[in-house]
Amino acid sequence: MKGEKIPDPDHIARFCRPMQVSDGQIQAVAFMLRPGEESLSVNWLEFLNCSNRDSEITEIRNIYSAKLNVGARAKLAVINVGEVCEKVLTESPDRRNVEVLHDPMDDDPSHSGIYNLEPDGELIAELILETVHETYPARTLMQ
Amino acid sequence: MPEIDLYKDPYRFDTRPIYSIIYGDQLIEDDSPSDHPYTGAWDFSKITIPFLPPVRYENTAYANQEESDTSIVDLPENQDPITQANVLKSEESQVQELIFRIKRSKFISYRKGLANRLLALFNDAKEEDPDCIGITAGSLRNFNNFLHLHTNIKCPTISLTPDYNIYASWKGEQNRLFSVHFLTNADVRFVIFKPNDRHPKRKIRVSGVATSDILMETVESYRIEDWILG
Repeated sequence: MKGEKIPDPDHIARFCRPMQVSDGQIQAVAFMLRPGEESLSVNWLEFLNCSNRDSEITEIRNIYSAKLNVGARAKLAVINVGEVCEKVLTESPDRRNVEVLHDPMDDDPSHSGIYNLEPDGELIAELILETVHETYPARTLMQ
Repeated sequence: MPEIDLYKDPYRFDTRPIYSIIYGDQLIEDDSPSDHPYTGAWDFSKITIPFLPPVRYENTAYANQEESDTSIVDLPENQDPITQANVLKSEESQVQELIFRIKRSKFISYRKGLANRLLALFNDAKEEDPDCIGITAGSLRNFNNFLHLHTNIKCPTISLTPDYNIYASWKGEQNRLFSVHFLTNADVRFVIFKPNDRHPKRKIRVSGVATSDILMETVESYRIEDWILG
């Protein structure tokens, strides 16, 4: 449902472009907004109803390959919703309350967004980066 | 023939500033055959500091034009007079030229690695979206100016922001972090994370805006040189 708050125990995946990755490491720029964007696009993994993380990642790769030009060095960052909200709330100088909301699209039902990233987007992006514990290649070697 | 007095103070009797004026209707082209950019009549090789002082130009349309409306303009984004011609070039070719200059810079010890990284980022951006600019020229110029002001700085991790600006990060032990977003004018937005020495369980997290020429002075009290200087 559009605008639904994603539960804290759930996870989201963020597509990280090759120019946002250095030596295989995702950089903070992957969590910055483009000019005019209101929220950071992510995908709600539990919404996919897969049995395990590998299946979720495979599904996410299929979604991105249909929508985007996925470069060989592009990555997926998996983040826990509760952890990122808590991290930004407790460690940002203005005790920022970011929200992770479901924002489904016709061709991407699990699409969601992280809201309230601006102002001070660089510092918030660095804090989000510290909550990334799982990363995956955004496309399989076969692609 | 009058004798030349080398010790004579040219400002003793006339305290007005003296400007050197170059007239012409042609843009300056960098066609130097050597590795160094064309320096015209100025011999920069004898200047030891790696940063060129700000330059002021007199604009006139034609040589010896009487009653010409001359004005002095500052070109803050083009402190190197050679880059004046680049204003008319496409942003993409400016970026390629700046990367080439970084690769040839005598003041950046990691110039080749840095230039290769910038080129890879440019190609990554272009591969994803052939219509994008790759890297914003103003941001790259700002970054290049910063590096030439601080030649003893370590090579940062470079990435591109969603609007193709340069984002440089220096990381140290205990999650020390200094990141700088180089904007298209002379501005920078920076982030510092470091341990709080008096309270070991806490961290210092600050962010701010400055211009790249005074960035290091602005953040001096955070002693970031401990992990960003080589």
